[in-house]
Amino acid sequence: MLSFIFKKERQVEQLIYQYLDTFKLSQESFSMAMESCFLNDSRCENFDFYIKQTHKYENKTSDISDEINNIMYGKTLIPDSRGDIMELLNEIDTIPRLFKDILYMVQTERLTVPDFIVDEIKELVRISMECCELLIRQAVALFTNSGEVRTLLGNIDTNESHCDNIERRIVAMIFDSEIDSFRKLQLKDLVEKTGRISDAAESVSKLINILSLKRRV
Amino acid sequence: MFSLLGGIFMGWSLGANDAANVFGTAVSSKMVKFYTAAILASVFVILGAIISGYAGIETLKGLTSFGKEEAVISSVAAALAVALMTAFGLPVSTSQAIVGSIVGIGILNGQLNFTGMGKVVACWFGTPIGAAIVSIILYKALAYLYNRLNLTMFESDVLIRIGMIIVGSFGAYALGANNVANVTAVFVGAGMLSVFNAALIGGVSIALGILTFSRPVMETVGNKLVRLDPFSSFVVVFSLGITVYFYTLIGVPVSSSQAIIGGVIGIGLIRGVDTISHKTLFNICTGWFLTPFIACLFAVSINYIAHLQYVPHG
Repeated sequence: MLSFIFKKERQVEQLIYQYLDTFKLSQESFSMAMESCFLNDSRCENFDFYIKQTHKYENKTSDISDEINNIMYGKTLIPDSRGDIMELLNEIDTIPRLFKDILYMVQTERLTVPDFIVDEIKELVRISMECCELLIRQAVALFTNSGEVRTLLGNIDTNESHCDNIERRIVAMIFDSEIDSFRKLQLKDLVEKTGRISDAAESVSKLINILSLKRRV
Repeated sequence: MFSLLGGIFMGWSLGANDAANVFGTAVSSKMVKFYTAAILASVFVILGAIISGYAGIETLKGLTSFGKEEAVISSVAAALAVALMTAFGLPVSTSQAIVGSIVGIGILNGQLNFTGMGKVVACWFGTPIGAAIVSIILYKALAYLYNRLNLTMFESDVLIRIGMIIVGSFGAYALGANNVANVTAVFVGAGMLSVFNAALIGGVSIALGILTFSRPVMETVGNKLVRLDPFSSFVVVFSLGITVYFYTLIGVPVSSSQAIIGGVIGIGLIRGVDTISHKTLFNICTGWFLTPFIACLFAVSINYIAHLQYVPHG
């Protein structure tokens, strides 16, 4: 009934959901590139396409973020929360950038993963993707006030710890192996960068929890 | 008309300074645009003055019986005291200034109503304390409701913005109703204006101050004085409105600055944080004590100068 009062705010809200959808697309594209392509026996021909897609969605998230910023500050909307919203989007933005960087690293450094760590890296990517999915749910929970924020923080935190354990295990396996030293360093770099996805998700998740607590009086 | 200029100047400076108390937080935090705030404040100040301003006018008028000259002197003395305190950056109450100058003239003409004076001074102490109590009760009650509403970030933002406009308008109404007496009551006492005309001229001169010179004060005072979250700011302005309106009903002009300080301290007490710095508090207390004395001194001095006579040598 009073939707006309919230018209401009609704526009920002829709853009935020669009941002989260695009974030999900970049995550799916990254996941396809890593799990279905790069970590399979032979790199599939779609790998470059997925890189482009990931890059495209990463750019799109930045564009939407800028648009939200312009609307909120240009039309003096949501003055109480706009700083928080922008901080949140800037933090989330780090994750698609990580997706893009990892894929470009694989592409430009011509990386291949030795068989003895393929399953471990697949597991690391899978749990990192789960963190991202939980993060999207948590962000939606913040904007819809569904009350799930704290539970999801707990889940993301558990997954992040799991990722840390896998990351350490893979690095140890790499350095225990007989492969070339330079390749060891390359693979270590790849594993650490992939591990940063869950770290970033946890960091955003904590921010969402703080923003949620801030809203209670 | 010329003799009313002191009162009009007083109303103008009151509007320029005190509108910040009701809309300062909303404007400085960009919750409400300045022109929206200024227009709403002006309209509601005039309405408050015309509809509910008579009680305060009657009280101040009853403090002493003035002639035309004494009314002008007390009005100018109060305006000068306000200007001086503002120049020194001290928070100032126009209510205290006008009462101080009335007391000064009243002492000289020996027609001071001490019963009415006691009521007014007691209310000065009651304003910050009352506002603090009101803000504590309001905060508890409204926070309970607000948390139960389970609003989304966007809904909450719009609701607080609308709430700020409503309580700001109510605060402006209370300000006009209560403080119009400071501007023109002395002229009613001197028989220069009817109560309605006094309320109208007073209200319009306050509105003029709001429209022409309140912007910098709103933008700075809102940030400088009250750095609270929007919900707490809403509660503080609401408690200001209630407190000032309460004193309007009993017919005593009080300071909206004192009411807002009381409200902010109340929020600080309930949330266990320092909402106001010790230095600011010291400045406020100094202003509160000095204003009536300085206004009284000015009134006595101006009255003395006005009655100096040229005596030619033998």
